[in-house]
Amino acid sequence: MVRILVVDNGGQWTHREWRTLRDLGVDTKIFPNTAKFEEFENYGVDGLVLSGGAPRMGLQNNLGNCKEYLQKANFPILGICAGHQFMARFFGGNVKPSKIPEFGKVELQILSKDSLLFKDLPKKSIVWESHNDEVVELPPTFELLASSENCLIQAMQHKTKPLFGLQFHPEVKHTEFGEKIFSNFITICEE
Amino acid sequence: MFNAEKFVEESIYKLKNTIKGKALIAFSGGVDSTVTATLVNKAIRDKLIAVHVDTGYMRKNESQQVETLMKKLGLNYHIIDASKEYYDSLINIVDPEEKRKIIGEKFIRIFEKVAQKEEVDFLIQGTIAPDWIESGDGLRDTIKSHHNVGGLPKEMKLKIVEPLRDLYKDEVREVARTLKLSVAERQPFPGPGLAIRIIGAATKDRVEIVREACFIVETEIDAAVSKGKMTRPWQYFAVLIPIKTVGVHGDKRAYGYTIAIRAVESIDAMTCSYSNIPHEVLDRISIQITNSLGEKINRIVYDITHKPPGTVEWE
Repeated sequence: MVRILVVDNGGQWTHREWRTLRDLGVDTKIFPNTAKFEEFENYGVDGLVLSGGAPRMGLQNNLGNCKEYLQKANFPILGICAGHQFMARFFGGNVKPSKIPEFGKVELQILSKDSLLFKDLPKKSIVWESHNDEVVELPPTFELLASSENCLIQAMQHKTKPLFGLQFHPEVKHTEFGEKIFSNFITICEE
Repeated sequence: MFNAEKFVEESIYKLKNTIKGKALIAFSGGVDSTVTATLVNKAIRDKLIAVHVDTGYMRKNESQQVETLMKKLGLNYHIIDASKEYYDSLINIVDPEEKRKIIGEKFIRIFEKVAQKEEVDFLIQGTIAPDWIESGDGLRDTIKSHHNVGGLPKEMKLKIVEPLRDLYKDEVREVARTLKLSVAERQPFPGPGLAIRIIGAATKDRVEIVREACFIVETEIDAAVSKGKMTRPWQYFAVLIPIKTVGVHGDKRAYGYTIAIRAVESIDAMTCSYSNIPHEVLDRISIQITNSLGEKINRIVYDITHKPPGTVEWE
């Protein structure tokens, strides 16, 4: 069974990420973002989810030990909300307070045709948001996957490595194809 | 996938090993506390004592219904009417967090008294995942202090046991169905009760108003559901907004409070969308409330906020 760990950055929906993975038959466990990278290796890890959280990535630089995880990991990582923003900043992108923050229902438009993370998703779907900051500049090694009316960088993917960032929240029930996105990420981790 | 049968089996085993001697359960009569009581009852039998506190902020006839339920479940129980005490301590309290903390502490002090008399060390609570998630911790912001987590006093003697801590409401309902409990589909009702459905001070007069308004919202929606006019929302109730607006009653000026109708769709309370109640049903609710509450209420509004940005309850 594939083992995907959830890094808790203090999000309201961290436990929902755990639950979604568990419901999809994954061996999963929540670790606080103060955990050392060795703890993941000791437990066994095929993939990592970096949760969202209250820390303002548009105003501060650190997010627990997430930097260490991004430096050392050689397995797929999915950053969500603050996790996504931190990933963008780590690889040389930029994060700022949103001009128009999004909370709740938003229409997502997928721009990429061949991203494995969005495999079998319709071009337009409803996603649920909750963010004060956003990625305003993609890291040079990343490509844009999806946008919404008020937030250009809703999803991104590393050009050569299995690293993904989502501004919206695939783990909540109100996101139409959230579970499908997780099962696509599971497939990526299995490979 | 969550396996309710396995969960029941494992919980009873764990509870047997954890609870030494007698235990109290904080029993509101909702799905969470009823499932918890049933599990603990299977584990320790008649060493379990259920305590239901009538805070004065319960819905219409609710405490009587809870008593019937406790009898039906074969629980040893106490019902404690603490309404006067609650009204007195909340009389000037406006801040929602302060309300929640006073209510939470009062619950514990009442349980401690019963525990001392009954020589009990354990307090069982029907806490579920959103309660501790929203209450906050070292890592997480406090959205609202749930009375059973963030509302607990710092110093307390009882040892807390929470068998449903990792479950969401939909999973608790699955367990309830497995246990064949009549409350499996009951809509959620917050521990602080109607006190947090009154914006501002939760005085006795205002409770009477919001209790009646909640009763009307529930009755009308239940009727509409049984006539097939709509599907049952996940949760539906009234909120009293103590802001006065002008109306006209029988050629005379009226100046009364406002009621908001709130109904949401959810699975787990972590995200919600507002319900589309048909206009015909809203119309009936509006007229029923303004007619039965007369000079007290002359304006009805409909809350169309998702979660986020809102939460289900207003406080």
